[in-house]
Formats: sequence, structure tokens, C-alpha cells
Amino acid sequence: MRAWEDGATIDAMLKRDRFITVAEICLIIIISASAGVAWNWSLLTGAWRGEATQQAQPSAPTGEELPMPIGLMQVKEMHDSKQAVLVDARNAASFAEGHITGAIILPLDQARKNLSFPSSAKVPKDATIIVYCNGFSCHDSMEVGKLLMQAGYASVYVYEGGFPEWRDAGYPVATGGT
Amino acid sequence: MNRLRRYLPAAVRVTLGAIFIYAAVVKIADPVAFAGSVAAYKILPYFANYLAAAVLPFLELFCGVLLVLGYRVKAGALIIAALNVVFMAAVASAIVRGLDIDCGCFKQGGDKTSPWIALARDTVFLAMTFVVLKLDPGARRHPSPPMQEQ
Repeated sequence: MRAWEDGATIDAMLKRDRFITVAEICLIIIISASAGVAWNWSLLTGAWRGEATQQAQPSAPTGEELPMPIGLMQVKEMHDSKQAVLVDARNAASFAEGHITGAIILPLDQARKNLSFPSSAKVPKDATIIVYCNGFSCHDSMEVGKLLMQAGYASVYVYEGGFPEWRDAGYPVATGGT
Repeated sequence: MNRLRRYLPAAVRVTLGAIFIYAAVVKIADPVAFAGSVAAYKILPYFANYLAAAVLPFLELFCGVLLVLGYRVKAGALIIAALNVVFMAAVASAIVRGLDIDCGCFKQGGDKTSPWIALARDTVFLAMTFVVLKLDPGARRHPSPPMQEQ
């Protein structure tokens, strides 16, 4: 009698196959997770502690000075202790809809034409500036940060999580007022 | 017809594997940007975005390599099918919530890919995975039983 003619044998083989496939899937996931965590160890430990992530902008020309990224926890600490000036690089409508309390608006378009803060805000060149926009996928904060550095501001950071992360963390936001 | 039936599954398997290897390599090269793409979906908490950005590309890479090599095809294809379902659910949720984000599927940054295009692309990948699972000999552990004699 051939093996596939025996119903019980087929059932046993299918069960065994299923078990082997599940075991293989688990093994692949474990290996991938281990490799991924090992490869990105410093990034993950930094993110766990809420530290600024390493800058990864390979498109930047060599020698160009870039603003340093900064994480949510540092932004919150510097915001609360008023150690930094927060700059919102989004447009006026987004700013009016909601922004980090105490932030100054400086949209990228405006910064390209005329890099000046609103007259009410006095920002000395040695001030610590944190620029943000609409989260990780928004690059306006990095562009505004670069323009600020070119204009002579020495201590410029980019908060990559931006307004969405700040708002979702339940930290103070304000509306209106440009 | 026979030739098509013979070579099509292998061609689909290698193509699918190569696509996933490419997708993985560009993400591994820039994990911070990929974490940003994951975070833009606003599904996971802060640290989980980084963890997903660290692990997912390696899962794609290993499964892609398995498909290209034709080794442990069933396990690799099943994981890729599951990943595609997760990606499609994430993209669909972004569409429903009206998020104007890049799908983050391949190269990070640059021009945005419409979520509808991303969804269509993932549907094609899912269909390719089913072709591999159904037709590729590597996805079957035992040969099919012969036709019953009349």
C-alpha cells in the first residue's frame, strides 16, 4: 500500500508539516528580531532613553553643518525649564490650529524669503533653538534649522517627532495666535 | 502552457524575493527615517516605532533571501503574506483617518507615494505570494500524489 493511500498516514504527515512550518516561521522571526535589534542596538537604547537619535541624512553634502536631532523627553525638559526657544516651521493655518505652548512661528517659505522672527520675540544668536514641524515625515524643520545655522544661530536642534508626537504625549498645546 | 506552469511560479518567487530584499536594504540603510515613516501612521507608541523599524526590514530581508534561494519557501512566503496584510491594514487605516503621509514602503524620504498606489501594490504582492504558495514546488514538502489509475 502506498503512503498517500493511507488516510491516517496522510493526516500524520500534514500535522508534521504544519508543525515544521510553524517552527520555521518562529525561527525566522526570532533570527530576524535578534539581527534587527543587534544591528540597531545604539539607536534602540537611545530611543528607549528618549535621547536624540543619530542624524541619518546621507544626502547632506560633506562639511555642511546640520542641526542636531533631539527627542521628546529633552524637548519637554527644555520647554519646561525655558532653556530653549521652540520654533514652529509649519504654516500659519497649522500653527493656529495647534502648536506647542510658547512656540514661535517661522514657516519655511517665510524663512527662505526673510529669516526674521516675529517682532515680539527676541531670540539672541546664542539661544538654544528647537525647530519642529509635522512629525517624522516633515522635513521643513530640518530646512529651517539649516537656515538658522547659516544665519549664525549656534545651537539649533530639530525635534523630529514634531507637533503630532508632542500633542499625542498629552503635553501642553495652544491654539490661535500667529 | 506546460513551460509556463513550470517556470512561472519560480519567476514569481524570485521576483517577490528580490523586491523584498530591495525594500529591506533601503530601510536598513536609514533606520531613523524608516522609524519616522512608521511613526507617521500614528499606530504605535514612540519606542515601538523604533523597534518596528529595527526588526521589520530584517524580517523582509530574510524572507526575501529564502524566496530567492528557494529554501524554506512556505515559511518565508507565509511571513511575507502576513507582512503584506499588516502593511495593507496600516495603509488602509491611514486612508480612513485622512493622514497625508508617505507609505514608507521602499526608499525613505523624497516624493510621497499615494496610499492608494501602496495599497494596490501590496495587493499585487499578496497575489504573488499566493501564486508561490499554491504553485511553487518549493512550498510543498511532499510531492503531489499521482493521478488515480482508471
